[in-house]
Amino acid sequence: MRTTTRVSATLAVILSLAASAAQAQSANITATAVVFQAMTVTGARTLDFGNVFPGVAKSIAVAAATSGRFDLTGQASANVNVSFTLPTNLTSGVNNLPIGTWTGCTNATNTTVGCTVFTPSAATTATAFSGAGALFVWVGGTVTPGAAQAAGTYNGTVTLTAAYF
Amino acid sequence: MPRCLTSLAFVALCVAVQPLAAQSTVTGIRNLDFGPVIRGVPSSVSPNDPIRSGRFYVRHIIGRQVQVRFTLPTQLARVAGGANLPISFGATDAVAKGTAPISNPLTFNPNNTQTFNLVTSADFFINLGGRVSPAAGQATGAYSGTITLTCTFF
Repeated sequence: MRTTTRVSATLAVILSLAASAAQAQSANITATAVVFQAMTVTGARTLDFGNVFPGVAKSIAVAAATSGRFDLTGQASANVNVSFTLPTNLTSGVNNLPIGTWTGCTNATNTTVGCTVFTPSAATTATAFSGAGALFVWVGGTVTPGAAQAAGTYNGTVTLTAAYF
Repeated sequence: MPRCLTSLAFVALCVAVQPLAAQSTVTGIRNLDFGPVIRGVPSSVSPNDPIRSGRFYVRHIIGRQVQVRFTLPTQLARVAGGANLPISFGATDAVAKGTAPISNPLTFNPNNTQTFNLVTSADFFINLGGRVSPAAGQATGAYSGTITLTCTFF
């Protein structure tokens, strides 16, 4: 009889534990962010083809004195993506002058010597700021005047967009 | 003989209780990663971002309930010390979705306790988004904080 009581008591305790068997568990993740200083992008030099003639294509190389240049400042050594919005024509009133065959080069210092060549486009190109937070981007291209190209001054806009990654 | 009965009863009940512990789990799968943010510019991560959102995996028993409760930081600490970065979580920054194909995602406020009835699947994921608000003069560098998800399994 005493043994039976003990068994029953044990069962009662265990059953009561099982009935209220809510159990808690925890898990962690980490929230992370990296704060960078704001970036600046400056159109430092215009891509200038100078005089061109009907029917004669003309190219400006990135190393040329009249290539386009953008100067960027940002977080030292940070990775940055650059992309471009590029015209397909320069315009003079209603007249178009086709432009294309874009060339580009980036460097951490303000020289095209030893710069990293890339092809400017709407797609992103990965590069990085220097240890001093500087980045220089040169742009060249080719204009292709038609044989009957109207005379005049043609221009268009090249836009560089940069974003940390 | 009575002692033998006692032992047998104890073993049987232990086995009966054991599956709850074995099947119920919560695991941190992915960190909430804001990536690069710029001084003075608030930055948000959507709970639906497949790369940057935080993610937990929860498994229990179909037909039962799980109560989930986040412990959320209000600031991330600069790893190098000396600064904090405010972080906040809004009413739609958590999304739970069962692993069954017919499970529908449920958006909820991670600041509140939420209870799920496991109807279509025994396990589910919880994605977490959020927002950091760096000050204009925020010290640059890496910041981090801990997010805890506590699950109570019924």
